[in-house]
Amino acid sequence: MTNQSQKKDTIVIGLGNILFSDEGIGVHLIRRLSEHQNEFPLVDFIDAGTGGMNVLHLIANRKKAVIIDCVKMGKKQGTIKQFEPADVQTTKKMSHFSLHEADILQIINLSRQLGECPDKIVIFGIEPESLELGQKLSKTLSDGINAYLADICKELC
Amino acid sequence: MHNNVNINVHHITRVEGHGNIVVNVKEGKIEKLQWQVPEAPRFFEAMVRGHSYQDIQTIVSRICGICSITHSLAATKAVESALGLKVSEQADKLRILMHYSEQLQSHTLHVGYLAAPDFFGTPSVVPLVARAADAVKTIVKAHRIANTWSDLIAGRTTHPVTLTPGGLTKIPTEKQLRQLQQTLKDAVPDLKKIAEVVLSVAANIPKFERPTEYVSLKQTNPPAYTFYHGGITSNDNKGAVVPIEKWHDVTNEFVVEQSTSKWAKWHRDAYAVGALARFNNNAELLSPMAKDAAKVFGLQKGCCNPYMNTVAQLVECFHVVETSIEIIDQLLTRGLKTEKVTSSPRAGKGSGCVEAPRGILFHEYEFDKNGKCVAADICIPTGQNHANIQKDFEKLLPEILDQPEKDIRLKLEMLVRAYDPCISCSTHFLDVQFVK
Repeated sequence: MTNQSQKKDTIVIGLGNILFSDEGIGVHLIRRLSEHQNEFPLVDFIDAGTGGMNVLHLIANRKKAVIIDCVKMGKKQGTIKQFEPADVQTTKKMSHFSLHEADILQIINLSRQLGECPDKIVIFGIEPESLELGQKLSKTLSDGINAYLADICKELC
Repeated sequence: MHNNVNINVHHITRVEGHGNIVVNVKEGKIEKLQWQVPEAPRFFEAMVRGHSYQDIQTIVSRICGICSITHSLAATKAVESALGLKVSEQADKLRILMHYSEQLQSHTLHVGYLAAPDFFGTPSVVPLVARAADAVKTIVKAHRIANTWSDLIAGRTTHPVTLTPGGLTKIPTEKQLRQLQQTLKDAVPDLKKIAEVVLSVAANIPKFERPTEYVSLKQTNPPAYTFYHGGITSNDNKGAVVPIEKWHDVTNEFVVEQSTSKWAKWHRDAYAVGALARFNNNAELLSPMAKDAAKVFGLQKGCCNPYMNTVAQLVECFHVVETSIEIIDQLLTRGLKTEKVTSSPRAGKGSGCVEAPRGILFHEYEFDKNGKCVAADICIPTGQNHANIQKDFEKLLPEILDQPEKDIRLKLEMLVRAYDPCISCSTHFLDVQFVK
């Protein structure tokens, strides 16, 4: 985690669990994006894994946050969709039951309440093909990596 | 008393976790009362088979985003046991510091984000901001401090990267440790403020008791309130400590129809793990400020009110902060030394045990002569608590059956939350419908 004083204006956060195939797409993409850190000196790339609640602190007092996660959207498998928090409503049911079921939309809401939310939040959701136990992405998502990276980089330019 | 009650809290998550509360009461008679965990087997053990002993702690750190340091530490200790590796006193102290950062992270999250809304009567932490803005900001601040602390010692907030069999790959500078120590000293007033806020609503903590077996680590040489060293004990074990290698004799996991997650039992038909278990087995060894906090809440050794687990977590927040200030003193007095960590593969089997924020955690691995993992076994704290939650339900429900159905439901839900369960970590964080 970056110290408060060293925070860059923009943060890109990859979420997910790399032990469950496509569930880890956010982390896989962050790893690839981090290889291009030199091209984006004003951007922090953070692999937040499954530390969902930590997003609250990661986005605090930034100008822009980009969140990449595997999202069930009812779209074709492998589809990447860019949206903002206001475009969606949560259907999560467990977020007040266990710390392990964080809801990013609720975290963003809390960040706003606390007055430290970035002005701009962009979410890249990628529809999974497989959520089975395994450390490899499905072929569909693996084949889409370069296209996903291109879409995300466009947002960072 | 109600003639009929029907509660079906059916929380479904996609990947691996369910946690259902089912209550059917007909004509005043309880026909069904179950804490169900129809959780798909996760087979994390299969995930590490074939991997090098050097990679185990990195892989298992991804099991959970809340207890990732704990899983990594348990795995690292198990690997070290299997390979006969010794860890320096400096690395040992730094690991305990790392572990304490996660205890503070998780406990502040649980107390502030999950339990506090119950006590204040709000559906979640978001509306709580409007009612108790200062309290929420203080909790967020404490959580942020814990995260920065993890960053410094573990290399990341979650999924640590500095742990390696035999020691640590990177250590902080003395200057960084001094800064951390000052930050922790400055955090004490914030913890006191959080305790005051919780105390102000403590009357809303349900009064319920059920004599329970509490299982936790216990350290006797030297005696210490432990999350990391020692053996296994319980209040039924007459102070005796079972070596970590014998953990299967403690957990005695068994299969039940209502849950695909195994249950556990030791001396009774169920046992509890977590902060209240640690407190009940080791309270006299808490730091002074932690003891004071327990006293303020009237939390005493022998408490068997599971809802007080949240208070025990709060007490432990004081302990880990106060003890860490001392540990940093010890490290700085001796001076930090660069240590070269080496290890080599060999065949062997070893167990590792640490206290996760939510209870005792066991890892066990076996390696071949090339250091490749050939077998693994992990027993998580929440699995050990399932049977106890059911037994609590069975005593609690008849006691509250005259209350409105929504209150019954809330008390059952609060009970599950009090155990701070890990029933659904590792899932992605967005389930959405598009509205635009």
